[in-house]
Amino acid sequence: MNRRSRQALAALVASGIGLAACSDQVASGPINLSKGVPVGAVLALSGNANLYGQDQKTGLELALASINGTGGIGGRPLALSIEDSGSDEPSANAAFTLLINRGVLALIGPTLSQQAFSADPIAQRRGVPVVAPSNTATGIPEIGSFISRVSAQSSVIAPLSIDKALKRNPAIKRAAVFYAQDDAYSTAETVIFQQALTTKGLKPVTVQRTQLNDQDFQTQISAALQQKPDLIVLSLQGVDGGNMVRQLRELGYRGTIVAGNGMNTPNIYPICQQYCDGLLIAQAYSPELQTPANQTFLAAFKVAQARNANARNLPARAIPPQLLAQAYTALQVIGDVLRRLDQKQPLKTLSVAQARTALMAEILSGTYQTPLGEIRFSKGGEVIQKNFFVAQVRMDPGGKTGRFALLP
Amino acid sequence: MPTELIQLLLNGLSVGSMYALFALGYTLVFSVLGVINFSHGAVFTLGAYFTFLLIGGNVGSNGLLAGFQLPFALPFWLALVLAGLGSALVALVIERVAFQPLRQRGADPLLALITSLGAGVILVNLIQLLMGAESHAIPTSSLGNLPAALNIGGAMVRTVQVLLLAIAAALVVALTAWIEGSRSGKALQAVSEDPITAQLLGINSSRMIQVAFGLGGFLAGIAGGLVGLSVSIAGPYFGIGYGLKGLGVLVLGGLGSVPGAVLGGLIIGLAEACVPADFSGYKDAVSYGFLFLMLLIRPQGLLGRALPNKV
Repeated sequence: MNRRSRQALAALVASGIGLAACSDQVASGPINLSKGVPVGAVLALSGNANLYGQDQKTGLELALASINGTGGIGGRPLALSIEDSGSDEPSANAAFTLLINRGVLALIGPTLSQQAFSADPIAQRRGVPVVAPSNTATGIPEIGSFISRVSAQSSVIAPLSIDKALKRNPAIKRAAVFYAQDDAYSTAETVIFQQALTTKGLKPVTVQRTQLNDQDFQTQISAALQQKPDLIVLSLQGVDGGNMVRQLRELGYRGTIVAGNGMNTPNIYPICQQYCDGLLIAQAYSPELQTPANQTFLAAFKVAQARNANARNLPARAIPPQLLAQAYTALQVIGDVLRRLDQKQPLKTLSVAQARTALMAEILSGTYQTPLGEIRFSKGGEVIQKNFFVAQVRMDPGGKTGRFALLP
Repeated sequence: MPTELIQLLLNGLSVGSMYALFALGYTLVFSVLGVINFSHGAVFTLGAYFTFLLIGGNVGSNGLLAGFQLPFALPFWLALVLAGLGSALVALVIERVAFQPLRQRGADPLLALITSLGAGVILVNLIQLLMGAESHAIPTSSLGNLPAALNIGGAMVRTVQVLLLAIAAALVVALTAWIEGSRSGKALQAVSEDPITAQLLGINSSRMIQVAFGLGGFLAGIAGGLVGLSVSIAGPYFGIGYGLKGLGVLVLGGLGSVPGAVLGGLIIGLAEACVPADFSGYKDAVSYGFLFLMLLIRPQGLLGRALPNKV
């Protein structure tokens, strides 16, 4: 190594140490309450998963308005910073690091399980509580003691839609499975789906693998259709899943399609259009839940939709999707916990690190009345939720709008 | 021919036709400037969005244009041609701001590669700012009463894919005829050989470069609209994946060769289709591995010319 290289390396190490020292100073210093109580959210607002991120952003905005409209945190507003994580891991890592360095007390996100496996360890190392609103893959809360989620894992929800499909059509005998092999959510969920199928005596006749960025599935579909399936089970994200459904129907498949949580958003309507009709998808949220928390949420959603529709010439959505309700729930949980914590020990007396640690302990100890119903957390951060549902997508004539109709 | 083989061929041609369409405009600019135009994917994306808007599509809820809809709705084919023209205009602007200034200063071609990448990134971000990041779809009914899929010898293929293949074939015939048979086509060839000598021979090299960009942009716009019809417009980054695959197609077919672009696209499509179902998630690795092997055997690509060593 020559002299110049040594100098460059030394500068690099020094700047790394400097950055680390700065971030340590943030953690050991007081909470910056000048603009409110700082909380961060990392959402996929661009890239392939943007369909989810947009819904989540709306959910967070509704929750934020509700919290700040009812006194905030001990009279201070909750200050939510939202960062776009794209749909990839490096961007999620960068967004987590940025918000942690800014001194947020807790993080919501990231949108995808794939991103969570990469970004959550950063929050764990820095001792920042994470409440995941949409990560359903196995092993997310197990990343560490600061990681929790309000999104029930695939193993709880996914088998319900298989049960419902078989109940509606007991003659189903041949199941084909598709999943994106480069996506953590898809690979985790397909294992659950395949186990559920095998338990029901329906060992998949074919398992077709795709990739997250694939858009044309002619090869996989024609291979699967040669096996003459009467049930197709998809563990795909919204964009690739929507394209898959459309192409399956266009290529002549008329049987039942069960989709996983990745397609659990009305944002698939523009992609598969009229072909979305009939999709079965298990739900962790029911708009029909008659609890005060859900009614408050629904009323806020309705007002926001009407305002948006008037302002932007857009059709108002009648029913909030699950992802939106889960994002709302995640921020509601953090808001509830911050209020409790502030009453026990005023936030202004705590350092950032102390507040983060206390916040995580409070999250795990509470019970919450949310739009999802009553929820609480296991010691490991896994959500404990009572009610789950199965919905069928019903598209309106013209194939532009539709709804998730809950099945009895 | 057994049905399985026909299906395999159709699968390959179906995917390959999308790659070929994308690569046509890409190769045209390379043939003239000898530079990869990385903004091609963004212009392709823009063509898809133009088509969507011109058929009366309603912008989603997140961009600055949320809820916007043109007061008219054109038939798909007319919208596609106009989208091609709009994309051509944008490509000309890109040529003016990202390529021409560097060319006039005699800068290294590598710099144009970077400025074109910059222009592409700016364009994609502009689309996101205006249209939002969500997906938009060109309605499946845009093709009128055509059936959704065709049965060819017992094998099924989506009608839109057959159209893509036919249009790619028609475009390559038309382009080749223009390049080989017209005065302006020959002028373009002369510029691609040596712009300075072409200029000395009375050819306006700058004008011919603009023609190549305009035509390349038009083809990108048409390709974007058609691929958008086939698989929906998956957000502003829609063209990025095609850009990478298109580069492979370009190299395989022979840099700067118009028929080579189509041949390369179809071969990569067929290579992907040949991947057994159980390994279908690895088709990119297989197609790029195939590309790698082909280039070891024939570095100039299938229809490219081997460059003589300069002394």
